[in-house]
Amino acid sequence: MTRRSALTAALIVIAVALAPSALAAADPAAVINHLGNRALEILGKNATPAQRAARFQELFREDFDVPGIARFVLGRYWKTATPEQQQEFVKLFEDYIALVYSAQLAAYSGETLKVTGSRPGPEGAIVASEIVRPTGGPPVKVEWHLTDRGGIYKINDVAVDGISMAVTQRSEFAAVIQRSGGQVQGLITQLREKTGNSAPR
Amino acid sequence: MNLRPPRLAFSNLSLVVVLILSGCATEPNTAQLGAAEQEDFNDPFEDTNRAIFDFNQVVDRNVLVPIAKTYRTVLPDPVRDSLRDFLRNLREPLIFVNDAFQGDFERAGQTFARFALNSTVGLAGFVDVVGRWGQLPYHEEDLGVTFGVWGIPEGPYLVIPVLGPSNPRDLVGQVGEGFGDPWTVLVTGNPYNLRWIPFVRGGVSGIDQRSRYIETLADIERTSLDYYATIRSLYRQRRAALIRHEKEQNLPPPSSFAQRGGPSPSAATIGPAAQTVFVSEAATVPEVSR
Repeated sequence: MTRRSALTAALIVIAVALAPSALAAADPAAVINHLGNRALEILGKNATPAQRAARFQELFREDFDVPGIARFVLGRYWKTATPEQQQEFVKLFEDYIALVYSAQLAAYSGETLKVTGSRPGPEGAIVASEIVRPTGGPPVKVEWHLTDRGGIYKINDVAVDGISMAVTQRSEFAAVIQRSGGQVQGLITQLREKTGNSAPR
Repeated sequence: MNLRPPRLAFSNLSLVVVLILSGCATEPNTAQLGAAEQEDFNDPFEDTNRAIFDFNQVVDRNVLVPIAKTYRTVLPDPVRDSLRDFLRNLREPLIFVNDAFQGDFERAGQTFARFALNSTVGLAGFVDVVGRWGQLPYHEEDLGVTFGVWGIPEGPYLVIPVLGPSNPRDLVGQVGEGFGDPWTVLVTGNPYNLRWIPFVRGGVSGIDQRSRYIETLADIERTSLDYYATIRSLYRQRRAALIRHEKEQNLPPPSSFAQRGGPSPSAATIGPAAQTVFVSEAATVPEVSR
């Protein structure tokens, strides 16, 4: 075996070894099916608010492309932030997202997620799904945008009835920064207050 | 045993793996960043809009929400749903016209069938027989969306007193529907003084919609950093999505908006979506026609 082919072989081994994590399945639809129903199950009415927030944060860290999303929602201000600000922002953003969505998910009780299709997206795949209500009301259309992160699918956006959660968040954060005189620090301060975090150290 | 080649291979390899893992994870997404560079709120009258938004919030907190809560408490769910179905049925003639204007004759036919059957078998629209047993659910449509399908741009974002988020295109659509609504024409074009009817209809319609999003909106307001900016983004995205869906005729029709009983699941998943849904429905409540 030449050194080069040994390297190739080793790379393949590594790629395969990386694959069997939660979101590594070749089929993005199966990934969303699993994640969506797990989320509906563990985040529903039976959980206490604290449990819900903790579980949500766990799911978010595992299955979402958190660094990519954090960068996206900060938009052009990502570049103007110092490395310390970037680092603190990512942490606060995780807490903030858990706060926002665990409150919304509290209304869940008995809903199921049905994957209706998937197609290639700009960076991976887009999985279309419907949240089916036990009462038989009209289903809600949810699209999951997945990005391929070295063979592992991570979610980088969720669109509900055509509304992108990432775009909504970016728009709000940009407004907050603009109203703080273009300073990212203004957003960080407000996020600290909202999430009950104090300044680091 | 020669250890050197493996070690070299290993160091190369770890470098490659690190590049794959961290490189991918932190490499800016050019498509996303490209859009992000030009964050466009489309809101040249932001100061005025924010002032009106604050005023609307005062009205909402002190008038609309208390009325909506009472309405929800006093009327049992089936009665509220029935009333909502009746109000929706009154909108069907306008929806039919909009379907046709958009060139979607299949949906126009469905709307016509819904109106004909629900108005008769469905006891003047109080029972949505077609939606419930006929697999043809209600769909919302308005002149603002039709204008969008025709390629008319939205114009600057506007907040209208009491009515909420809008833009010139949607506002003209609302006024146009107000004049064109057959029920309004009917009650104004006769010798009896029935001009109050459209106002009652608009009021009840607004309260019914508000009563379905009390908790959702409260949650969004509580958790958002800038409620105004969140609503602005939700409204604009929702309107754009409706127009996009109409243009992509092959896609299934957008799910009908208001939810049947209980907290809406859009509310649950993504709170903001349900919010926009409310906002977009509210935006179609013209002062005179409903």
